[in-house]
Order: sequence, then C-alpha cells, then structure tokens
Amino acid sequence: MEFLKRFPNLIVIVLLILVLIAGIAMNLRMRHLRESEAYYRWLIAAAVSERLFQDQEEGDQDGVLFSGSVAAARESGIFFDYLDGDSDSEDISLLGRVAKDYQQDWRIWSFARSSYAAEQRQQFLLLAKERKLRFAQDIQYAEAQAGDVNIFNLFFGFRKVAANLVWLEVDRYWHQGNMYRMITLMRTCVALDPHFVEAYIIGSWHLAYNATASMPDTPWPRRDWDPRYQVCLGEKERFYYYAIDFLKDGIRRNPRNYRIYFDLGFALYKQKLEDYANAVKYLAEAIALPHDRWVPRQLFLCQELNGQYEEALQGWKDYMERYPGSMTAVEVAPRFILRNQGLIYEKRAEEFRIQAKQMTDATVSKKFRKQAEENYMLARGIWNELSDPFGEGRKMRMEALDMREEGRYLEALAVLDKARWDTAALWQEFSDLIIEIKKEAGISLSVSEKKAVMRDSEVGICPGMPKEEQERRLHTIEDIKAGL
Amino acid sequence: MNAISSFFRGPYYIALYTYREGIRRKMLIGFLVLSLLVIFGSSFISSFLDPSAETDIDLKLIKDICVAAISIFGVLITVYISASVVPNEIENKVIYTVLSKPVGRMQYLLGKFMGAQLIIIVNLLLMGGLFFMALYLRQGIMPTLLLWSILLTYFEFLIVSAFTFAISCAATTSLVPIMGGLFVYITGNLTEYLKDVENRASQTTEWLDMIIGKVATGLYAVLPNLQNFSLKTQIVNGQPNDPLLDVFIPSLLLYGSIYGLAGFLCAYVIFWRKEV
Repeated sequence: MEFLKRFPNLIVIVLLILVLIAGIAMNLRMRHLRESEAYYRWLIAAAVSERLFQDQEEGDQDGVLFSGSVAAARESGIFFDYLDGDSDSEDISLLGRVAKDYQQDWRIWSFARSSYAAEQRQQFLLLAKERKLRFAQDIQYAEAQAGDVNIFNLFFGFRKVAANLVWLEVDRYWHQGNMYRMITLMRTCVALDPHFVEAYIIGSWHLAYNATASMPDTPWPRRDWDPRYQVCLGEKERFYYYAIDFLKDGIRRNPRNYRIYFDLGFALYKQKLEDYANAVKYLAEAIALPHDRWVPRQLFLCQELNGQYEEALQGWKDYMERYPGSMTAVEVAPRFILRNQGLIYEKRAEEFRIQAKQMTDATVSKKFRKQAEENYMLARGIWNELSDPFGEGRKMRMEALDMREEGRYLEALAVLDKARWDTAALWQEFSDLIIEIKKEAGISLSVSEKKAVMRDSEVGICPGMPKEEQERRLHTIEDIKAGL
Repeated sequence: MNAISSFFRGPYYIALYTYREGIRRKMLIGFLVLSLLVIFGSSFISSFLDPSAETDIDLKLIKDICVAAISIFGVLITVYISASVVPNEIENKVIYTVLSKPVGRMQYLLGKFMGAQLIIIVNLLLMGGLFFMALYLRQGIMPTLLLWSILLTYFEFLIVSAFTFAISCAATTSLVPIMGGLFVYITGNLTEYLKDVENRASQTTEWLDMIIGKVATGLYAVLPNLQNFSLKTQIVNGQPNDPLLDVFIPSLLLYGSIYGLAGFLCAYVIFWRKEV
C-alpha cells in the first residue's frame, strides 16, 4: 500500500497494460468471429448451391472443402437429429439438408465457429485468399485478407454508395437504350455490393423483358448450340439465360432472400420459359423463407400448371387458414380450390379409364370404368359449381373425351374446337388434344397442326450442336414424320 | 459513497461546461448542418431513378447514403471535438484556473472526455434521428435495427475519440491532434493490411522482412481494428440469414469500451507529466 501511495500512477500504468491485454484478447475474439462469419456465409452459399444448382466450375475448390466440412459437421454432434436416415446414396449432404430450413442457420453458425470446424475454417481462408472458392468471391473479410487492400477496401460502407451511383448510371443507360453497356455496369454494380438485391432483380428484368421486347423469336436455323445450357439459342433467347444466370448469381450471394428466388421462378421460368417444373422449384424455395403474402399464390398456380394438383389444392387450403380474412382467401382461393379439386377428379377418371383399357378381365375393367364415371361425375359437379369459362371449357373437354371413348371422333373434334375458342386459357391444351384425337382416329392433320407438332417436339437443329445430339434429334424428326 | 460522488462531481461540471462550450462551435454546427442536409437530401435521390420500376432501390439509396454521411460527418465531428477540448483550454489558459481548484488531473481529463462524448452522442442522435425519420416515412414501419447500427457507430467513434483525445493531451494546438485523429481513423480501417504484410513477410527468409513481419503481427494484435464495426452497414441492410447479431453486438460493445478505456488511460499517462 505504501508503495502504491508513493507511486499512484503505477496503478494507471498497470491498468493500461491490463486493458491492452484485454484489447488483444478481444481482437483475437473478433478475428475468430469474423473468420467464422465468412466461413458460415460460404457454408450457406455452398449448401444452397449444392441443393439447387449442383454445378461446379473447373478450378474451384468449393466441392472439396464442402465435403470436408460435411464430414466435420457429421462428427461435431451439432446436427445429431439430422443424422437419422443419413446415407451416402442421398444426393443432398447433411449441411445441404440443414440449410434447407433457414431457421436452422444458427446451427450452421454454431458449427462454423466451433473447434470442430477449425481445420476447415483455416483451409477456407487460405483458399479464399487464393481466390479458389467460387462462392466466397463476395466475402469481404477474406477479400480484405487477399492482399487487395486499396481504397475500395478502406471503407466497406462506401462501396455500397459507389454501387448506388453506378446503378444511377445503369438507369441512365436504360433510358438511352444502351443495353450492352448496361449489362457490364450491372455486373460492376453487384461486384461492388453483392447484397444489392434490387440490382439483381431489376437487372434480370431488363435482360429478360426490356432487352428482348422488340426482338422477334429467333428461327431455328439461326440459333447456335449453347453447350452450357444444352439448348439452341438465338440472340433473344440468350438474354433469358443471361437473366437466369444473373439471378442465380444473386442467390449464391444472398441465399436467404426470397425475392430473388421468386423472380427466378415467376418472372423467368414461368412467364418467359414456361418451364413450370423449375418455376415450382424456385417458388417453393421462396416460400420456405420469410416472404410476402402474394408469393405462395404464384407457387400454387405454377403447381397447377405443372400438374401437381394435390399440392396446389393443399397449398390453397393452407393459405385460407393462414390469412382467413384476406381478399385472396375470400375471393380467389375458393375458386382455385374447386378448380384443383375438379382437375384431380378428371385426372383420376382418366387414369381409371386407362387402367380399364389395359385390363383383360372384364369384371375388373368394368369396375375401373365405374370408378372413372364416378370421378367424372364429381368433376362435372365441381365445374357446374364453378360456373366460369374455365369450368365450361373443362365440361366440354370431358364431353369430347366421352365421345372419343365412343369412337365419335369428328363430334369430339368439333366440341373441342368450339371449346378452345370459348376458353382462351385452355387453347393450348385443347389444341394438343385435337391433334392427339386426330392421330388416334387417323384423320390427317392440318398444315398448321403439322407445324405445331414439329415445333413442339425436340426437332431444333442448330449450328454447333454435337453430332450425337444432332443424330438423336434427326431420328425424332423421322419418327414424327412417319407418324404424320 | 460520498467519496465516489465527490470524485465525480468535478468531472460532471467540467463535462457540462465542455458540452455547452463545444456545442456552440461554428465548425461543429457547420459539419452538423452539412450532414443533416445530406441525410435529408438522400430522400430525393430516387427522383433520378426510373419511376415505372416499382422497387425498393430508393430505400437502399437512402440507407447507404445516410450510413455513409453519418460515418463521414460523424468522424469529422468526433475528431474535431476530441482534438480541441484540451488544447483550446491550454491556448486560452483556462486550464490553469481549473487545475488550481481542488480538481485532480484525472478528474479534469474525465470531465473533458465525458463532455466530448456528450457532444458526439448528441450529434449522432440528431443525425440518426433524421435518418430514422427518413426511413420511417419511406417504409411506414419502425426501423429498429437502425438503433443498433447507431449504437455500434458510437462505439466506433468512441475508439477514435479516445485516441484522438490522447494525442491532443500531448499537443498545444488542435491542428496536430485533428491530423492525428484522422490518421487513427484511416489506419484503424486499414489494420487488416498488417495481416497482409505479415503474410508477405513470411514468404522470404530476409531478416529485415522477418522483423517487419513480427512487428506487423504485434501491431495487428494490439491495434484496434475499426473494420470490425462494418457490421453497422450490414445491420441496416439486414438479411434474414444473420443470426450473428446476438454474438457480434455485445462483443463489439465490449471491444469499443476496452479500446475507449485504453485510449483514455493513454491520455492520462501523457497528461500527468504535462507541465501545466
């Protein structure tokens, strides 16, 4: 005490040293947390990418590191309840399954900062610094450690402002019609701020909609084979894929933002490519995340278009329970519930009819026919209840199918022809059915129907297509021509 | 209890006086008005955008510009205030009057430091309040995450302020500490660079490189890294996959407090031998 009284400032010096030691400890802790955060973000991006895209570019080490991380995660015990039924034959890894539910992100975070992941974390930082990780390109921490310390890395917050200024320039180019300059700048914009979700969404809209608005569909002979997408693409069609790539890039960098999944599913796959299977895939991802009320509606519509009537029906029912007083629940959902119910009955009836035809035993065949009739009756009841152009169209379709069963092909065709003019929404479906009935009845197709058959089949041959693919498609042409 | 309250009575009055004096400074008001203009002006930036596209881009623009404006003007205010509270008193010779009273040097410094913090907090609240209003008017919901962002910004400024204050205790005019404060802010944001120096130094066997590497390692461990506070931008543009806030925010508050205390103690160590 005497010593302290003689040297009172010594306490301050000792305190300063202790505080600096505490500062070092905190520095180490923050460093660990930031490294863990970078690793955690990469894990989520890699897990989502594994589940949705399953693509790997040459030279990227993501796959190897991710496998190591999955093995470490399995041993950590953090995901013990996900290990049940875990087998190597499954396509999706343990972390991929955990990442499916965003509410389990805390587990991945726990794993990312645990000692179980220490080795993978170090490896991650090393690979990120060497730029060998595809999904780590936007991670600021690793980026700063990669040796590119410059004015952009000085203040990360200001990079966002720079991205905004670049976006204003993108907007200006859009008004000037400078589409190609716009694309380059859009990429610069998201490079500056990878979490600029609006840039991805509006950028893809410009690419898929505005850039192609005045372009005609490219004729097949003028398209080129694109090995990456495995399709023949012209200038217009290529823009759709640019937009898809842009949004997929956005998903890799913002795997927990429902809006990008929604735009990919709805604006691109549903509206532009009419690829309902993929639309359902991405819209289902969107509703698995916190989302707005209008998102599920599009999923149910796409499920219906994709023939997944049971899922769509269940979805609409759930929607009515979740938002009981909403306008959609009161005015829209009941109609779509009836629609899907009717479609399910129709589908069942058709399945029973097919089974009845396949049966050799007359009693069993009769039983199936009876069941088919019952389902048709139920469907008819629903279409009567629905009482709208869609329901009327479905009734006419059923009438035509009955006539087809009785061999009254010409009458069936006449009913379908009238029905497709009355119900524009079912035009394509009825036109296809007309062709099907004509083929079945041996009635020759009209010129436009023949063209439609050729167009709708995989007959497109384009320059650059691999020989095997060309041969495969040429065979298909031969088959169709023979059929016609 | 009495001893504690009598110890803090002096710093309390000094802080109050420092605040009253500081808040009237023209340069400070100038910075504040400029920052408020930028924050207010950010709401009009959306007029440059295509009105047909119904998006939240203007909201993002407001957020990013406001965060940047608060960072720039906030740090200027922080550095200016922290650098001038002590040198101005020395220049005006007010310090001699104060220290001739029964006020210890620690109490004096604590009062000055607390006064500077009060000014920084009030300015930050004004800027943050306007930002809050701009977001609330645009979104229609309370942007509560913004409060965390502002809190983190303050703790970042606390570190800058404490070390600027320490430099100012060694100076007789405010110009050198202002330069020093800006240097603290810039180097604090470039601490990550030391890690890169360490990595590069380890790639050779030259003794000089090895020494540089060791020095860089030591400095990297001791110096505050202001990049840790980049979370403040992340929060404002929040993503649903951020379950990190519960760990990061308390750690950052503790981090800011420790380095703030370290800066203040450095100031005291410098000041106690100063001949005033």
